[in-house]
Amino acid sequence: MVQRFVHSRVANEAVADDIVQETLVRMLVAVERVEPGILEPYAIVTARNLVASMWREQERHRRNQHRIVDLRGPDSPDESLLEQEDRGAVAEALGRLSERDRRTLVAHEVSGQDTQSLAEELGVTAGAVAAQLNRSRARLRVEYLLALEPGGSVTDRCRPVLFAMSSGDRRRQREVDAARHLLECALCEKLSQPLLARGQRSDDQVRIRIHADADIVLARQSAREVAARLEFPRTDLTVIATAVSEIARNIVRFTEGGEVVVELLEEPRRGVRIVARDTGPGIPDVEAALVDGYSTYHGLGLGLPGARRLMDEFAVVSEVGRGTTVTMTKWRQEG
Amino acid sequence: MDTGPALVSILRQGSYLIASIHTALDDSQMIRFQEDLIEQIGQRRSRGVIIDVAALDVLDSFGSKTLRNIGEMARLRGATTVIVGIQPDVAFAMVSLGMGTGSLYTALDLEEGLEYLDRNVRKDPGAVGTTSSSLS
Repeated sequence: MVQRFVHSRVANEAVADDIVQETLVRMLVAVERVEPGILEPYAIVTARNLVASMWREQERHRRNQHRIVDLRGPDSPDESLLEQEDRGAVAEALGRLSERDRRTLVAHEVSGQDTQSLAEELGVTAGAVAAQLNRSRARLRVEYLLALEPGGSVTDRCRPVLFAMSSGDRRRQREVDAARHLLECALCEKLSQPLLARGQRSDDQVRIRIHADADIVLARQSAREVAARLEFPRTDLTVIATAVSEIARNIVRFTEGGEVVVELLEEPRRGVRIVARDTGPGIPDVEAALVDGYSTYHGLGLGLPGARRLMDEFAVVSEVGRGTTVTMTKWRQEG
Repeated sequence: MDTGPALVSILRQGSYLIASIHTALDDSQMIRFQEDLIEQIGQRRSRGVIIDVAALDVLDSFGSKTLRNIGEMARLRGATTVIVGIQPDVAFAMVSLGMGTGSLYTALDLEEGLEYLDRNVRKDPGAVGTTSSSLS
């Protein structure tokens, strides 16, 4: 089976045989670590990695031909160790998928079976297979990252949140309150970085971390820039920037830190939504905090009530000891 | 703060100080600006201060409060402060935010600000306190 797989990808007979041999050697080394049920996909993944690294090697040679001297030394021992660890993580991640997900994924990604014929086998539509594959890939990414962090303390909340981040599904991210969890959970904060980086960064959403004075200015300027894409009138841009300035200042003054997310809306109308979250002490009496002049430091007490007056919609959710989320929206006046 | 282009400039023009803010300032930069300006009022023995805020993208509650404080502190140090160059959209946002700015003198631009100072700043320190009797 491995032989067939490799030969289908590598034209040169001798090279292909080398790779098959190498795969088998690695399988023998790995056999104690790998669950028996997933030996087969493991072998395929191993072989695929070898093929891929051979291609990479060729590519590098081609690029570097003009250099005459190959500056790159042989693989250092820790590099191959890292590679092994990487493969272990892939295998572990594959092992955590459901049987059906795993088989479909391997059939598609490794054996190259197309979604149409998979759909026929499974008795569903090709679209459903594609959706299932997307979910499986998202889950595989999460499990792979978790497998590389064996020391991390994973809670019940982590997997759903990471899965939502991995699949790039904004609605799901809101449902599981992913943003708040990322503020609270250092492990997920870290793991979500590569997940976010791979997604196509949409430019209708900007996230600004808020820790110090300078971040207030950054946040209000970003909000203005994002809102400007909807061609808000200049006055509205300044109003939005002012409101962001007020709530970002609250984060700096009262909490350890937080974030401001600026997002463009198309539904139900065009507008800009700003969500400010922090992991601060929370507001014991939100109603009182929304009244002018309520201030716990020597300010004007205009922060929250002022921002509310500036925006069209305004909501504060606060939990003492956990943090505060302010959500506010400005609609674009049409015509 | 010490590298790169200056965020503010404070120039002397006769007995006036003309302070221009060149870019958006964060809160700590705003406080430093306030301290610098109040100190210079004493050093230069200034009678009038013009603060040009035309380059500010936003005057939020903190920014307005700092300007008010500067005006108040300058008054206590014997100088009159005029804010010039508040942009129309910034003015709109300040009013919507609900900030009271009544105690600040303002003028449309630098020229108007200078005119205001010329009209209102006491040229002769000896005259202090001699004109208040007409109120009674």
